[in-house]
Amino acid sequence: MEARYIRLLVVLGGLALGVVAYQVQIDNLGPYTTGLRAAASVAAAWSFLAAGIAALSYRPGNRLGPLMVATGFALLARQLRYSTDELWFTVFFALSEVGYALVAHSALAYPSGRVTDPAERLFLKVTYATVLAFPIAILLFHDGQQRLRYFDPFPRESLISIAEAPGFVSFLQDAYAVIAYGVLAAAFIALVARKLWHSTPRARAILAPLLLGAVVAALWAVYNSVVAFSSRPPDFVTENVFWWQILALIALPFALLVGLLRSRLAYVGIGDLLLRLESVSPSGIRDELATALRDPTLEVFFWLPEQDAFVDVHGLPVQLPEEGPTRAVTMLEHEGEPLAAVVHDPILRDEPDLIDVAAAAARLALENARLQAEVQAQLTKVKESRARIVAAGDEQRRRIERDLHDGAQQRLVALALELKSAQRKHGGTGDPEIERLLGDAAEEVHIAVEELRDLAGGIHPGILTQGGLSVALDALAARASVPVTVDARLERVSPAIEATAYFVASEALTNVSKHASASSASIAATLENGLLVIEVADNGVGGASADGGSGLRGLADRVEAQGGRLRIISPAGEGTRVVGEIPCAS
Amino acid sequence: MRVVIAEDSALLREGLARILAEGEFEVLAQTTNAEELKDAVRRKRPDVAVVDVRMPPTHTDEGARAAREIRETQPEVGILLLSQIVEAAHALALFSEHPEGFGYLLKDRVLEIDDFLEAVRRVGRGGTAIDPQVIAQLLGRPREDDPLAELTPREREVLGLMAEGLSNKGICSRLFLSPKTVETHVNSIFLKLRLMPAPDDHRRVLAVLAFLRS
Repeated sequence: MEARYIRLLVVLGGLALGVVAYQVQIDNLGPYTTGLRAAASVAAAWSFLAAGIAALSYRPGNRLGPLMVATGFALLARQLRYSTDELWFTVFFALSEVGYALVAHSALAYPSGRVTDPAERLFLKVTYATVLAFPIAILLFHDGQQRLRYFDPFPRESLISIAEAPGFVSFLQDAYAVIAYGVLAAAFIALVARKLWHSTPRARAILAPLLLGAVVAALWAVYNSVVAFSSRPPDFVTENVFWWQILALIALPFALLVGLLRSRLAYVGIGDLLLRLESVSPSGIRDELATALRDPTLEVFFWLPEQDAFVDVHGLPVQLPEEGPTRAVTMLEHEGEPLAAVVHDPILRDEPDLIDVAAAAARLALENARLQAEVQAQLTKVKESRARIVAAGDEQRRRIERDLHDGAQQRLVALALELKSAQRKHGGTGDPEIERLLGDAAEEVHIAVEELRDLAGGIHPGILTQGGLSVALDALAARASVPVTVDARLERVSPAIEATAYFVASEALTNVSKHASASSASIAATLENGLLVIEVADNGVGGASADGGSGLRGLADRVEAQGGRLRIISPAGEGTRVVGEIPCAS
Repeated sequence: MRVVIAEDSALLREGLARILAEGEFEVLAQTTNAEELKDAVRRKRPDVAVVDVRMPPTHTDEGARAAREIRETQPEVGILLLSQIVEAAHALALFSEHPEGFGYLLKDRVLEIDDFLEAVRRVGRGGTAIDPQVIAQLLGRPREDDPLAELTPREREVLGLMAEGLSNKGICSRLFLSPKTVETHVNSIFLKLRLMPAPDDHRRVLAVLAFLRS
């Protein structure tokens, strides 16, 4: 059967039952009620029916609609117990209190339509058991004569009476009043308070209608206990409290309905989301989703299959938080592959469709953002590997220089020295031909030492190794083709950083002599707050850039590989400044 | 004269010890790293220590640093640093204001055995031995209104030898000149460079190096 026929049936059935319920009260309670009071009790039931039908049509998947409809019918059926007909009395007296249990159930099931909290589920079980067990027990021991609480003086016959025990029935009625209006009402109020206390700000805003539920419960308990335990209830209570609790009861379903439709408004936000995502940057997706889902704490992380990890928008790996009372994680998939994880307020779980719809809207943008995060992650890796390659190259050069220096060169000098010693010892005593040969050999070896020294120096400047950057810069300046002043008084830093700074100065000075037509230049090096800054300035023609054939491009690569940057300030006619900034991990 | 050697290459260390012994030095200790060197110098109090700049463990500037410490704690010990490469900047950084009892030579200089032994002796007596390559760098430095331009080539040669730390006698034998000729050159140099004539070799080196580094 189509949903709208069901709704039509519910409307017609509710209207009919309302009329009957009204008439039963008027017919049977006589002077103990008024037309207005009877109408008010019907109105409270109808308000649940109306809100329930509205919820059914606007949020068909949500179980709160059927719950509120059931509550409305139960509240109407409850009035039929006033009938003097034995069957009606027996059936509807037994079910009379179920309506209130359903009110509590509706409130606790708001907004998702489901009750998941273990304490709340336990409460509802106890409540349903209580509201069914006590009326049935009373019917079992009702003698047909005793005046039951809330009933007019006319006796009612129970069809299921098994024994006549008026004392026990009185006890049951008292006990029920204490349990229902005292314990259960208080427990309900406590559960609502707990729910609000533990929820996030967004959840609290959504859960606000529950406060009205607590008010209903409080007024209902006060009214009923006063009426139950005083032989002649004060007018204040019967007049004011009755009306207040009935008004609150009428208002409650509408409050729940408004809350439900407000979260439906989030779907409208998703319509906007779809439009805005067309132009949003990957880093903006989080903001758009947070706005659409009204959760400012929302975060989005992307799945990188090759890293087997989630990363943020910058491609940096992140650890997803544990699921808990303040954080929930929803995985988004695309064609069976993980796409992203949304970390959000757990209250969004109450509307699982909402995240799905938002995720569907954002899928393309998310896929884009994921790709971008992937590219970022790869870029980071490439940068790291570039730094490693440069460092490895430098290290190799240092190693070769050191091996030449401490190995071959030393041996050759020692060998030449042996030859020289032999030549001296031989001097004057032996064959002059042998003496000459020894001398020549020593000289040859000496030349080899010098050639090896030049070779090693070309591979890596040895003075940098044994004198440090300041001395090496002085030495560089001393060999320059123009006068160069040096201002550098640095402690030793790591070899890789010294080498990079040295090559900045060396390459910049080469450019000064080749291109700048300068008459003087200066080198300044400082080390402050873990940043080594080396600056080479000249008074030449300027106009240098890293784009041309100069070595400046390669120099920039070297500096960037160390995580630093190279700036070239070279306005035409105003000299050139090459500034390298290299971070040093100390 | 008593000497301690610090050189990590065994071949070169042995060679050095042999030519020093043959040159009538008393080799008190042959050490292979900075710690051994400092220990030997403290205990044996040599006149001079011949030290390789680069030694284990890092092969960077262990020898130079040990030398600096020794010059602070035992200034009477002469230090002759041997290096595979020499740079004026490094020399100046090492002896700073005090070239007395200090030498800084390219390792290859040991091959000119007599000159080398003479340099060790000079440093042991509190004199100076700066590598000719360093002096050449200092002489070749571009200067504004360069007074060195007024020197004759021979005077430049004599100035270089003075800066290396040689005495007049040493200059005589190196250039095969008579003492009188050398003295004439020296006076002429001091006049042209507007330096006060120095009463002894030691102060002459100070004055000349101070001029060259300025």
